[in-house]
Amino acid sequence: MIIIKRVMESLLRSNDETARILHHEWNESGTLAVNLIGSTGAGKTTLLEATLPKLRDNARILVIEGDIETDHDAARIEALGIDAVQITTGGACHLEAHLVEKAWRSMEARGPYDLVFIENVGNLVCPASYYLGEHLRVVLLSVPEGDDKPAKYPKAFRTSSAFVITKIDLQQHFDFDRTRARNYALDLQPALLTFEVSARTGEGIDGWVRFLKERAAAHMPIPA
Amino acid sequence: VHEVSIMESLHEQLTSLARANGATRVRRVAVEIGELSNVVPEMLHQAFLAFREVEPLLAEADLEIRSLPVRVRCHSCKQESDAEGFRIRCRLCGGTEVEVIQGEELLLRDVELEVDSEGGEP
Repeated sequence: MIIIKRVMESLLRSNDETARILHHEWNESGTLAVNLIGSTGAGKTTLLEATLPKLRDNARILVIEGDIETDHDAARIEALGIDAVQITTGGACHLEAHLVEKAWRSMEARGPYDLVFIENVGNLVCPASYYLGEHLRVVLLSVPEGDDKPAKYPKAFRTSSAFVITKIDLQQHFDFDRTRARNYALDLQPALLTFEVSARTGEGIDGWVRFLKERAAAHMPIPA
Repeated sequence: VHEVSIMESLHEQLTSLARANGATRVRRVAVEIGELSNVVPEMLHQAFLAFREVEPLLAEADLEIRSLPVRVRCHSCKQESDAEGFRIRCRLCGGTEVEVIQGEELLLRDVELEVDSEGGEP
C-alpha cells in the first residue's frame, strides 16, 4: 500500500531546532551572538583583532572560531587574552548549529558572556543557509574581492543585518566602487547597515564598535 | 557546496518518517526550493542519486524538486509581483518596503511511502 504524507518541514529542521535552543539560552543570559560570514581572506579574524580590544573593558567576550583545519585563528584571539574555542569541521564548508552548540557547551561554564562572536568558515555561500541562533548576522567583503560580490552571492547579503566592507586602505589599488557594492547589497536587503573599515589603519573601526556596543547594551537578559 | 549536508538532513527526516509510518520504502519525495534559498536544484538531485545507491530505503525513490521564483508583496501599492532577479523590490511601483512571500523556501513538502498492508503505527 502506498500512502502520501504531507510534511511541510524545513529541510534544515534539525539544524534550526538546535539553533533556536541556543538563541533562547542566549536571550535568557543576555548574551548577544554575532555570526561573521565572509570569504577566505576577507579579514574576519583581523577585524576581530581590531574590534575586541575596544569592547573588552565593557563586555565579557567569547569567540567561537570555525575552520576546516587548524586552530590558528583561536590562537590569534587567545593571544589577546580573550576566551576562544576552535571548531574544525574536517572538510565541511560551513558551521552547523550542533557544532556551535558543542563548542558553546565546552565554554559556557567559564562565562557568563555578554558577547559571543562566531567566526564562520571562510565561504560566502554555504554559511548563509545555516542559522546558528545568532542575533546579528554580519557579512564581510574586502576591497580586493570586487564590488559585484553582493549580486553574485545574494543569500549571505539577503540574510544579514550588517555589511562590513573591509581593507578600505587598499582602495587605491583596486576598482572597487563602494557605492556600487552598497547598492547591490541594498537591492537584496534594504534594511542592511553598512560599515567601511580598515583594521590596519583603524579607519571606520570606531563606528563599527559603537554599533556593537549599542546592540549589546540593548540586549539585556530577559527576566525570568 | 552544501547540498550533500542538506541531503544528509533530508535522509534523517525520511528515515524517521518511514519509521513512524511503518514504511519499508520511500517512493517519491517532493521538495520546494526557492531561488533565494542558496540551494542548486541540480546539485541536490545529484546528492539524492548518490544516497539512493547506498540506502535501500530510497532505492526506488524519485526526487521531485519544485523551483520557486522570488515574489514580493509591496507595502506601498499593496500589489504582488515577481522580483527582477535578486532585486528585492516591487516591480510595479519600485517600492523597497516589500515582504518576500515566495523564494526563500527549503521545504520537504510531501512523501509517498510504501507500507505493509497492515499499515504502520496509528
